[in-house]
Amino acid sequence: MTTDDHVVFIVDDDERIREALGELLETHGMRAIAFGSAGDYVDAEKPDLPACLILDVELPDINGLELQRQIAEGDRPPIVFITGHGDIPSSVRAIKHGAVDFLTKPFSDADLIGAVHTAIYEDRKKRSERAELSLLRQRYLELTPRERDVLPLVVSGLLNKQAASELGISEVTLQIHRRNVMQKMAAASLADLVRIAERLGIPITHSRRVGGN
Amino acid sequence: MTSAWSYRPQLLHLGLFFAAYVLGCGFAQALAIVPGTGISIWPPSGLFIATLILAPKQSWPWWVLVGCLGELFGNALWFHSPLPAAVLIYAGNALEAMVGAWLVNRTLGRPVRLETLREVLVFVVLGAGAAPVVSATVGSATLAWFGIFSQTFLGAWPLWWIGDATGVLIVAPLALVVIQNWKRKAELSAARWIEACAVGLILLGVAALSLGGYLPFAYIIMPPLLWAAVRFEFKGAAVTLALLALITAIFTISGASQFAGNAENQRHNQIMLQLFLAISAFSALVVAAISRQHQLALLTLSQSVEALRDRERELSQIVNMVPVHIRRLTPEGEPTFFNKRLVDFFGFDLQQLNRPGTSQLAANIETLVHPDDAPSLLQAVRHAVATGEPYSMKYRMRRADGVYRWVDGRAEPLRDEGGKILQWYAISIDIDDEVRAQEALRDRERELSQLVDALPVHIWSWTPAGKLAYVNKRSLEDLGLSKANFEDTVRVAQKLVHPEDAPEVLRASANCLKTGDAFMMRYRRRWKDGNYRWIEARAQPLRDQDGAIVHWYQVSIDIDDQVQAEEALKSSKRQLEQMIDAMPFNILSFTASGKMTYTSKRYLEDVGSPTADIKDFDALARDVAHPDDFPTMFQRASDGFATGQPFVNRFRRRNKQGVYRWIEARAQPLRDADGTIVQWYIASIDIEDEMRAQAALRERERFLWQLVETLPAMIDCAAPNGEPVYRSQQLREFLGYELEELDGKPKSRLNGTLDAGVHPDDVAGVKEQYAHCLTTGEPYLRKHRLRRFDGEYIWVETRAAPMRKDDGTIVQWNVICLDIDGEVRMQEELRLAQERLARASQAASLAELSASIAHEVNQPLAAIVANSHACYRWLSAEPVNVARAKITTERVIRDANSAAEVVGRIRALFKQSVENRTSLSLSGVIAEACNLVAGEALRRRIRIDSDVEGRLPPIAIDRIQIQQVLVNVMRNGMEAMEAVAGEKSLTVRAHCVGSEVQTEIGDRGNGIEFPDQIFEPFFTTKENGMGMGLAICRSIVEAHGGRLWAEKNEPHGARFIFTLPIVGKAAP
Repeated sequence: MTTDDHVVFIVDDDERIREALGELLETHGMRAIAFGSAGDYVDAEKPDLPACLILDVELPDINGLELQRQIAEGDRPPIVFITGHGDIPSSVRAIKHGAVDFLTKPFSDADLIGAVHTAIYEDRKKRSERAELSLLRQRYLELTPRERDVLPLVVSGLLNKQAASELGISEVTLQIHRRNVMQKMAAASLADLVRIAERLGIPITHSRRVGGN
Repeated sequence: MTSAWSYRPQLLHLGLFFAAYVLGCGFAQALAIVPGTGISIWPPSGLFIATLILAPKQSWPWWVLVGCLGELFGNALWFHSPLPAAVLIYAGNALEAMVGAWLVNRTLGRPVRLETLREVLVFVVLGAGAAPVVSATVGSATLAWFGIFSQTFLGAWPLWWIGDATGVLIVAPLALVVIQNWKRKAELSAARWIEACAVGLILLGVAALSLGGYLPFAYIIMPPLLWAAVRFEFKGAAVTLALLALITAIFTISGASQFAGNAENQRHNQIMLQLFLAISAFSALVVAAISRQHQLALLTLSQSVEALRDRERELSQIVNMVPVHIRRLTPEGEPTFFNKRLVDFFGFDLQQLNRPGTSQLAANIETLVHPDDAPSLLQAVRHAVATGEPYSMKYRMRRADGVYRWVDGRAEPLRDEGGKILQWYAISIDIDDEVRAQEALRDRERELSQLVDALPVHIWSWTPAGKLAYVNKRSLEDLGLSKANFEDTVRVAQKLVHPEDAPEVLRASANCLKTGDAFMMRYRRRWKDGNYRWIEARAQPLRDQDGAIVHWYQVSIDIDDQVQAEEALKSSKRQLEQMIDAMPFNILSFTASGKMTYTSKRYLEDVGSPTADIKDFDALARDVAHPDDFPTMFQRASDGFATGQPFVNRFRRRNKQGVYRWIEARAQPLRDADGTIVQWYIASIDIEDEMRAQAALRERERFLWQLVETLPAMIDCAAPNGEPVYRSQQLREFLGYELEELDGKPKSRLNGTLDAGVHPDDVAGVKEQYAHCLTTGEPYLRKHRLRRFDGEYIWVETRAAPMRKDDGTIVQWNVICLDIDGEVRMQEELRLAQERLARASQAASLAELSASIAHEVNQPLAAIVANSHACYRWLSAEPVNVARAKITTERVIRDANSAAEVVGRIRALFKQSVENRTSLSLSGVIAEACNLVAGEALRRRIRIDSDVEGRLPPIAIDRIQIQQVLVNVMRNGMEAMEAVAGEKSLTVRAHCVGSEVQTEIGDRGNGIEFPDQIFEPFFTTKENGMGMGLAICRSIVEAHGGRLWAEKNEPHGARFIFTLPIVGKAAP
């Protein structure tokens, strides 16, 4: 019944809630892993899958919001907060920090499942972006130093001639480098390469306009 | 060539040879008396021959070569012959030397010594006679050939021959002497030296006189020459001849000699000179040889005489020293010689025995032989002399000290070829010791035989085949038999052995005869009176050196009495053993040194037989005693054995089945009359069951004791009068002192404990109740504080119950004292916690309170909702998952109950409890509540007007709860005035109305919209309110027996009023 391509983490100090949520998620075909405290969650070995974290605000060790803040850095799954008695400042703060939803107990089945699906979708997207970026980074690292010099010039829109003179090499050589860059970065077109460079955060250092100098 | 090279003589020798050769040439030149002939005495020939005689043949080429050089050198100096002539002449000379040497060596062999006449003659004939023929022939031919000095062959030959012969005769001996004695020291005595000098001087003088012409002829020289030859033999002859030749040469050259003369008779003179020298030499040499031979003969003779003398001495020593008396008798028997031993034996010599008138033999025998033996000896000797037969006889001879000693005398005649007796030789050997030994042996044998007969035993001897060889008298007498009655083992067994024993005896004896083993048996033998008596028969074979059995000896001892006694003893022992074995304990006995001597049958049955290597107490104890018990047991036993004191040991002993069982072993020594321990007797009884029972008892006791000691309660036992007799460890540790420490003080143990231990506030009650219980016998139960060892008072619950005998009298009071300090304190803490909670809620806003309650309630509610959804989904699933749905439903029920519990808990929080009510005045409570909200009122700019009657009577209330009511109502009032403009004031009034105290809290708010509903639970007009506050407040007030209601305030606002009864009523 349950699928293994994503996972839902539950952090709540109340055994009954953990049990009930686990059961509920299972009826929706989702795998749930429950923790009694924030510490347990942080310390646990977690599967590397698209995930969602259902986090209780009131926890015995540290506050749920505090945990959200602590794990903000790193590849944390999107968070769905649940609370016994929600107050507005808390929910605002949680949402501001990227929580998917803020549910007050008792909450409805549809609200929770909806939030969880949203969270998992987001995480999946985030993960694929991350993977793509990592692939691009890998490709970038495979470039020779000279090719790395060439890449910003090309994506800045400089003509081959300009770029060659910028680097003090012949136009033919530059063309070879450029072709290699395109090939190694698996860019279908110059536009594609520009997009890749942007994603890699390569700055556009030169203007094509000569007058810009 | 190589062989010639390897035989090369020493260079020194060659050099000397060369020098001597050249010198000889010079000498020859000087002696060339007949000028013009070139021939004279030729010394080199002698030198050459002597050298070659002595040198090995292989080295001859060397000498020939060196001689050639010498001759050529001499030729160059003096002769001046043409070289071919010189060489030829030398060849002749060399040939001469080689022929001469070869002949001499061949005839005489090596080495040539010229010491006998034959040798000298051979030397003279072959060396000096034959060899020069070669030289003379070659030389003369050469001279003739070359025409030197116009010599003819025939003219030169004789001269040459004589010259060479003379040279050989004179020089060769000298050369031989010089070469042979080259490194030998002269061994002449001083007298001989003087004689040699004298001879030399005389020779020189005579030579000078004769050759000088003072004496008529030269041959006068011969006497001194011969003297020298005789006295000094060959050496003297050689030296003297050399001297003579020199002198002659000197005188001849000087012309003073007779051989010097005018030219006509020069040739004659020459020949004469040479002949003179040759004859002199020949004579001297011959004489020397004869002298030498004579000397040798003399020497040999004297040596022979000396050897003979030695032999004679040896023989006489043998005759005298052999340990036998030897004498020689004439054919008539007269003694003629006694050897030294015989003389020493008799102490006097043969001559001293001579007695005139009597026969020497008879006299000797009479004097020297024992009178008993003398006649027979004399007769034997005479018989022997008469018949010529040898005799042999043993007789006694008197020794010098008068003692007669036995000797064995024998005599044999010595006959000549014709058989005639020449002499008798008699010897006698001292056999005194042997004779005496034989006598002693005979005596002993007699004694033994007597002994054998006298002994009260039967001694028989058997042949190896089993035939009876000897029976002592005693057996014959005892058995009433003569020897003829039986003769072998079978007959003995048939006639003498008890019919029951006979087959066994026969079998055993037959076996012994076959194997040669010793025989030992007890059986009954029939005595002459017909009774059978027990005997012990032992037979032993006597073997010769090869181990073959020569005889069997049998001794039979009458042991009938002993056997009877043994039988009696055995029977008594058997009875005793049966008795011992019948007893239900094991018996062992040991010697004083611990050696095991007896084990009862029962012991063997129980424990099993000790193995073969267990022979003493030590080993047995190690074997059977349990290893844990062994050290103690063995120590005790060792001490017992050492001191001789009886001892008792309890230990586990391994029985036959290998199981250890407890036994009690008692050891007792048996002493003889002197008090020395003869035996140790150890009796052991199985006490396993007893020990088990004891152990179980002990274990149980220990268990109980441990139970008492370790129970987490303090236990005390007291006598019927209450005096404590035992306290458990826990109690002792709690109190910090031992029970015994209370003794010897003026107070009793009980009073001492109570006074010192119980809290001063409680002590009176405790004592009173104690006394009551002790008198009535009722159980005791009381909680009080008890002083711990560290001075702290701890709450305890003490219970005591009497332990009674069957008749109901109290034997002991058992007291248990439980530490309930924790519980008491926990109750206290609970109370405090409740108070704290209440205090907290006093200050908390109703909203916060409700939030907290909401959280508590929402948790189970959330779970319920989730579970319900899950349940729904399980039920809607295809197929329906009933099992999971059931689980979720169970959870829903559980969580719902849980929620209900939460609510219950909240209600309990505000539940009224009479216990916490204290009697106090309401004015104080109101003042506290006003203070609690004062801060908030200030913030909200609300004035609190308090109008509380000064002398309100005290009422029984729960202060906290009433405070809660006041605070809640006042807060509600303040919140109601939140949105109101204008003066904000809260009025609090309290006053007595009849039997109640009425309290009013009025606000200036908007008033109450739904005055009937505001006290309903969960009715709220506030955004965050839960609608619980006023409901709780009403329930509190009603619990106190009062009422709470709301009215409209004038001119506006609301007024909450509650009453509390002055006389506290019981809660509904």
